Amino acid sequence: MQVKIVAERCQGHGMCNMVCPTVFKYDDDGFGYVAPGLEQVPANLVDDVSLAEIQCPERAIVIEP
Amino acid sequence: MARRRRLNEALSAAREYDPYTSEWLEQEFETYALLREELPIARVESRGRTERGDTGGSWLLTRYDDSCAMLSDTDTFSSQASSYPERPWIPQAIDPPAHTAYRRILNKWFTPDAMTAMEPHLEQFAGELLDKMLEKDEFDFVADFADPFPTVIFCELFGFPLEDYPQLMDWKNTLMHSSDGHGRGRALALVKARELGIELDEDGEIPKDRLVDVWSSTGAALYEYFGKLLETRRQAPRQDMISWLIDAEYEGERPLTEEELLDTLFLMFMAGLDTVASALGLIVKTFAEQPDKRREFVALMDDSRRLMLATEELVRYNAIVLLPRRVTRPVEFEGVRFHVEDQVSCPTMAANRDPEQFENPDEIIFDRVPNRHMGFGHGPHRCLGLHLARRELRIALVQLHRRLPDYELHPDHKPELFGGMKGASSLWLRKA
Repeated sequence: MQVKIVAERCQGHGMCNMVCPTVFKYDDDGFGYVAPGLEQVPANLVDDVSLAEIQCPERAIVIEP
Repeated sequence: MARRRRLNEALSAAREYDPYTSEWLEQEFETYALLREELPIARVESRGRTERGDTGGSWLLTRYDDSCAMLSDTDTFSSQASSYPERPWIPQAIDPPAHTAYRRILNKWFTPDAMTAMEPHLEQFAGELLDKMLEKDEFDFVADFADPFPTVIFCELFGFPLEDYPQLMDWKNTLMHSSDGHGRGRALALVKARELGIELDEDGEIPKDRLVDVWSSTGAALYEYFGKLLETRRQAPRQDMISWLIDAEYEGERPLTEEELLDTLFLMFMAGLDTVASALGLIVKTFAEQPDKRREFVALMDDSRRLMLATEELVRYNAIVLLPRRVTRPVEFEGVRFHVEDQVSCPTMAANRDPEQFENPDEIIFDRVPNRHMGFGHGPHRCLGLHLARRELRIALVQLHRRLPDYELHPDHKPELFGGMKGASSLWLRKA
């Protein structure tokens, strides 16, 4: 599974970080980004990343199989 | 025929729409559901609009998807929504790209990490207030906790002297709650009206078109207070948000002007002194009325993942904010032709109960997924303080229920609720 955050859509609600802090980080302005190296989601985090994608209020997280 | 009757009821509800009363709250979700089914984009008669002398039509959006679309399209739906106040609140009433530049400054203060660092202090202060409150067997939860907890924290964060707390609350209540069912707000507004020589109408109320004078006069006092505070901090900076704003740079190019500083402080004040207090009051009222849900919460609150989801669900269920926008260009939106200067209102409490987005929307489902609720807004203007608000709500609810898992509404004191940016101004509880 591949994950990315569409920067133009992210408004910094922080839901993804609450659900999966390992993969989703904040920049200085509070907007989310995917931790470098974790774009290819480790198997043990697939459920959390999927939940983050579902919960994002701005639909800014995109998952590809 | 039944169908036509329902549409007629919706048309009447739209005509009579006035969320700025406590009576409105008795049937708000029923009415929003009726409008959502029959007139999801309803032309309404808005009291707030005429009070402020605004022109153009007034519309009400009750569907979740429509609200998202509106709040994301800042070119068409401007946040410079009202002719009062005369000066824009920064950054709430500013559109991108300037909004983005102001938010860049403010976001840095409200980062999740900075707010997490406050958690031990939040826990300790919440505990102190609660221990004091619970020395009594019956108490007003709003006066003893929901009001002081977030407000004192906010004053500390900002650098408002704590001894000014009562005065700040009075100013806030006069500005926000002069005629929405808030007892203290109304009383303060009446005092102010007398001071200004405003004649009351036959019901003993301030005439609608004179409320703006009450607000302007109160706003002027507040601006003067902020001006003095800025001067004090310029001479002796501290570790607070006021000092930090003084040093901040707009786009890394220039410091903020005196007007920008004042307008920012004004908005932070209005947004910070009311919202978490209102949400907390309503959530605890919900728990007093739905003991089964309260017990469910108490059982899950030690599981941090479930607690996080539960807090979001409580914010969804008890959304408090109406989001106004102004139409900047002729546009057809879902078949409705909006004209320039039309006002559009998106009540988050309506969007958050849309069954197309939330299954069984009128039920609290603590593990609800997905829960893309609008309690903190949507789009570029999403609540700046949400990382603080979430932590305050979570900590307050856990600390309260650790100490007091069972309580009920006091039988002799009805909760005092206010409409508009709604909340509870008094919530008497007693130990069960």
